[in-house]
Amino acid sequence: MKRLLRSLIRIILILFGFLFIFTLPLVFGSAEDTVLVDFRSFWDGLKFNFQSLIQMNDSSYLELFKELDITNSYQYTMTILGGSLIVIIFLAIVISILIMLTPEKVSNRLKNGINFFEAVPDLLVILLFMLFVITLYKTTGLKFLQLYGVFGNKPYFVPIMTVSFLPLFLLLQFLVKVITEEQNQQYVLYAKAKGIGRLSILLVHIMRNIFPLLILQLRTIVWVLLSNIYLVEYVFNINGFTQQFLKLLFMGGDFASLVACLLMLAIPLLVMEALAWFISKFIKGKEAVSI
Amino acid sequence: MRRYKKTIIGSSLLLIILLMSCLYPLYGPADFNQKVLIHDENGRVIDRAPFPPSEEHWLGTTRNGEDVHWVLLYGVKFTLIAAFSVAVLRVIFGGIVGIIISLWAPFLKRYFKDFFLTMRYIPSILIAIILMIPIKFPDDVAISSIVTYQLIILVFIGFPSVTVFAADITDELLKTSFVQSSYLMGAGNFHIIKRQLLPYMRSYGILFTVQQILSTLQIIMQLSIFELFLGGANRAGIFGYDDPYGRPKLASMSYEWAGLIGQNFTEFTQMPWIVFAPLLGFFVLILIINMIKKELENNILGVQLMKTKRKRKKEKPLPAAQTHTGKFDFLHD
Repeated sequence: MKRLLRSLIRIILILFGFLFIFTLPLVFGSAEDTVLVDFRSFWDGLKFNFQSLIQMNDSSYLELFKELDITNSYQYTMTILGGSLIVIIFLAIVISILIMLTPEKVSNRLKNGINFFEAVPDLLVILLFMLFVITLYKTTGLKFLQLYGVFGNKPYFVPIMTVSFLPLFLLLQFLVKVITEEQNQQYVLYAKAKGIGRLSILLVHIMRNIFPLLILQLRTIVWVLLSNIYLVEYVFNINGFTQQFLKLLFMGGDFASLVACLLMLAIPLLVMEALAWFISKFIKGKEAVSI
Repeated sequence: MRRYKKTIIGSSLLLIILLMSCLYPLYGPADFNQKVLIHDENGRVIDRAPFPPSEEHWLGTTRNGEDVHWVLLYGVKFTLIAAFSVAVLRVIFGGIVGIIISLWAPFLKRYFKDFFLTMRYIPSILIAIILMIPIKFPDDVAISSIVTYQLIILVFIGFPSVTVFAADITDELLKTSFVQSSYLMGAGNFHIIKRQLLPYMRSYGILFTVQQILSTLQIIMQLSIFELFLGGANRAGIFGYDDPYGRPKLASMSYEWAGLIGQNFTEFTQMPWIVFAPLLGFFVLILIINMIKKELENNILGVQLMKTKRKRKKEKPLPAAQTHTGKFDFLHD
């Protein structure tokens, strides 16, 4: 009973938090040269938004949302997200193993290089990629890299490369840190003493042990990827989900459509959290058995 | 003070940049050396702005014929002041609320997290866009109120995460033995804050502020791509800009760096200097602040690591001394 009540309170709070955040602009009415705080219009806005969420059977419900080309663009954006996620995981594992296999002097320098990329703004990367593609086209005349998404084009390669560039370094930094910590463990020393080679220790033993940590870290990666994808789609003028979303915003769509869009955007993160939850449960269960 | 060498160097660099920018009216040309057309001796027009970087125009000129380096020098103060004030406000509000939650109302923490759950699932750039759109096309509103609104929104976006962080850290500190014994001797919450927490708050507060400056800079820049400029947009648009669809391109009113990047990023194929000069400048700012952040993190979080290591070392010799009676000693273990 108590649990039910608590989850009820939670749901109400989440809903009201959501409404609060998105009706916040109504608090500040603007006068000539001061910002007025106006709680009455805020309260009205809250009530209005709440009502528009509840009135499901109204014909104007989700009107704009149905007009927009949602399924196609959502599929496209999610393809970019999934593609870059796969690219990132694959490249990060390969490169981190290569870094760990190099001599210590070289790998230290490489680690510093990776840390440098932490500070690079995402916009700089996007613009440099654009510049690179355009100069490639200008100098060689090759047009195999599609950049802009105009005339119904759906480029995949360049957006995925651009989007995954910075998150790759983020994951790489994480993996290198975790592997370095893992190498101090006793079992690595034991495996070394038994004469197992460095590569097979890394691939077989360490990788298996850091795999859950990798899954847990993926939530952050997806988060960064999502916010990069918005920028890239806007800058490259790609007809993805972001464009539909912005159209909705600037055309003054109703609140229910906004909520639907935001929920769709949150799905990848929810999937990642569910995955992390299952993994952690699986591991805990295993430990309980082994004890 | 040697431990804070990078911090001192970095912050004095930022301070010099800020001072130079604030004193700009004293030494710089008020119109940024504006020159749109170049005439030859006979008075015929031979060239028009924008000019690429040259000896005369170090970083090139804008479409309006203004020298980019003067514009940048003039505008950087807005970027720095905005980022700094937003970060400080976030840390002050978030820190106070976090400490109050942690000390007086621990049960509220869960509800607070639930209330701002949306922020965990929607990237802050989207929330910022949604909240800032109402003032994209303001009707005769003074700049000061636009800026106030924007700053409030920017502070609000970072507020929940800072609050939760502050509450977590205060929770950790409350568990330490010195706070516990202080409570046992009858200290009240205010006394704990004043005596035990304040020294920690100072260092954590500075670290938080630096982290928040970084995130504010990032978000200002991302917002500017969507034509949401800090300090409002000039509806007349960029001078001499021809849009294929015929709409005016909004221009940043304040010459603030992020705005300069946002208003010009479409032009980088023809005039890369206009967008890359502020972008690289922004990059340098972020690098300096990141350097400060790294050192502070090392000093604040690293000190604790060192302490625990030292403790472990002290504990170790005991069993070694007891096994000393054997025929041989372990020199290295």
